[in-house]
Amino acid sequence: MNDTIIEFRNVYKDLITQDNNEVIQTTILSDLNFKIQRGEFTSITGPSGSGKTTMLYLMGILDKPTKGTVVLDGQETTALSEEQLAVLRNDKLGFIFQFHFLLPEFSSLENVMMPMLARGKYTYAAAREAAKELLEQVEMGNKLNSKPNQLSGGQQQRVAIARALSNKPKVLLADEPTGNLDSKNSAIVFDLFKKLNEETNQTIIVVTHDEGFAHRTRRILHVIDGRIDYSTNI
Amino acid sequence: MIINRNILYIAFRQLSHRRRQTLLTIGGIGISVMVLISAISLMDGLLQSFTNKIINSAPHIIVSGEKITNPVSDLLYKKDSSSTFMFYKNVERNDEDLIKNYARVENIIYTDPNIKLVSPVLSINVIAKFGIISQPMLVLGIIPKKADAITKFSENMTEGKFDELERSPDAIIIGSSAAKDFQVKVGDRINLVSNFGNTFAVNVVGIFSTGINDVDNNAYANLRLAQNIGNYLPNEVTQLYLRANNLDKISGSAQTIKKNTNYDAKTWEENAASVISLYKTISSMIYFLVFFVLLVAGFGVANILITNVLEKYKDIAILKSFGYKNSEISAIYIIQGMMVAMLGALIGCLLGFIMIQILSSIPITPSQTSSVRSDHLEMGKSPYYFLLTSIFAMIVSFFASLGPSRSASKVNPVDILRGER
Ligand SMILES: Nc1ncnc2c1ncn2[C@@H]1O[C@H](COP(=O)(O)OP(=O)(O)O)[C@@H](O)[C@H]1O
Ligand SMILES: [Mg+2]
Repeated sequence: MNDTIIEFRNVYKDLITQDNNEVIQTTILSDLNFKIQRGEFTSITGPSGSGKTTMLYLMGILDKPTKGTVVLDGQETTALSEEQLAVLRNDKLGFIFQFHFLLPEFSSLENVMMPMLARGKYTYAAAREAAKELLEQVEMGNKLNSKPNQLSGGQQQRVAIARALSNKPKVLLADEPTGNLDSKNSAIVFDLFKKLNEETNQTIIVVTHDEGFAHRTRRILHVIDGRIDYSTNI
Repeated sequence: MIINRNILYIAFRQLSHRRRQTLLTIGGIGISVMVLISAISLMDGLLQSFTNKIINSAPHIIVSGEKITNPVSDLLYKKDSSSTFMFYKNVERNDEDLIKNYARVENIIYTDPNIKLVSPVLSINVIAKFGIISQPMLVLGIIPKKADAITKFSENMTEGKFDELERSPDAIIIGSSAAKDFQVKVGDRINLVSNFGNTFAVNVVGIFSTGINDVDNNAYANLRLAQNIGNYLPNEVTQLYLRANNLDKISGSAQTIKKNTNYDAKTWEENAASVISLYKTISSMIYFLVFFVLLVAGFGVANILITNVLEKYKDIAILKSFGYKNSEISAIYIIQGMMVAMLGALIGCLLGFIMIQILSSIPITPSQTSSVRSDHLEMGKSPYYFLLTSIFAMIVSFFASLGPSRSASKVNPVDILRGER
């Protein structure tokens, strides 16, 4: 079995902006080549604006490269339609964003159920059970029916993590998940990731500013100006 | 595209989250559906009551002595743009307009199995004199039994007895409108002056009211009496009134009669064509206006959906990030449009039903000049008004939701998720 879960082959990403009548093309990422193995706990670091978020969205096939190929779980994604990409995302990926992004009208439980109900893979009752278990796992079992605005930032992020895990993703992708949290909540989130990686061999890729956080993962991809500056295994 | 329960649920939750705006939009649809239902019911009711009265108490086909080749029926006839010609109808008695030997014609007509009854009629113009009032009046000579089967005089007598007409040779019954003009009562004796200047004194034995002014303006006498007054032979009449078994087949019957008898035959629809087309013109104008009311409600639907899409960019991006397809995102907003339309239509149907009840109970003053009189509004009642209007509201809402749902499906999650909250 192939141990590579994500591979970038000569990946470029250009940004085309329009200023008055001038079309400006800026290269955000250039010629990225790397592989992420199954079970790896990887952090992506680098200065602000270096292209980390862009890279993560490409890995999460939310965005398409301008040039090059992104391979996810052995499948080249370049030629896939938007619908096919959506199905793949639901099947293989879990996202955690910096700003929680829970759906405000829905309870914690319902938020976690959303990805499971998208494809009709789960019955409502099964999704409910699974969501409950996940929320207990992130120690939110006592806030099942709370709405996001009744939760603190740290609590919301834990619900978001439970949601990202709900479809048993092959890869968990997180964009500065502790960026908005205090040190205590950051530690809780980090410990959760660590535990997931060690106990269930969950592949995790985290974009982070936090040097301490990064050094406790198993691999660091350091990005500067849209290129990989160095890649170290810890 | 599979619309799973979750999509419905998301759509519902977003709507119920903006309760006030949603309720207002539903109300807007409801009111316009009500207005549309009431308008349709009103117009349809008018037309229906008109046609029902005609069908029940007017001849289905009138065969008249007019030659079918008579080409000009309009007084004004414009031959070309530069000249206008005027034709005068012949006001003198014209033997050409008579059906002679009507019994023979009757026999020919009866060969059509669709014809149930033939009632001979001789219409003569007289000057009626009663007290100081002296007015022209149309007197129709009839064979009472036969005429009653068509016009239902006996059911519509307001005073006196219809049977009296048959018993006494110098009796007439008079329509309520004419009776009002002359202020005559049963038992009064009025004078009829013929075209030849002869005066006949007749007894008013009854007053009837059919609700059709064209009928109620006239007086009816025994055929024999009318023939005497007008100086006609006993086998001469001006029209034959026909009743048919099957109304759907009367056009064919009329054609056959024309061909076989060489006399003109017109169906009730042809006779009432101008009134019916007036009704239809007015109805389509009203429907057209009411359509705009529903269109405005459609704008309301578009409005709430646009707000829902604009305010939910983040949620849309999130749903997409974990695998909701563009088509499913579109479905959320189409479903919202349909939910609003369905609830609105339901409320509108209820309000429309109540409105119809209210409108049909309002008393109105009968008008002497309109073709049909009634003491209250005859509202049409049919489940189709509700069904059609509801479907129409759904269609309008569907089109209103297309734009917002399209822009929702086009949301690029990367652009949204990148931004701060
Ligand atoms: N949609 C966008 N509009 C404008 N600039 C963008 C957009 N996406 C990326 N960029 C630019 O691309 C570069 C990389 O952005 P990003 O991947 O967000 O970096 P990081 O996450 O490392 O801070 C930055 O210079 C950013 O300004
Ligand atoms: Mg970033």
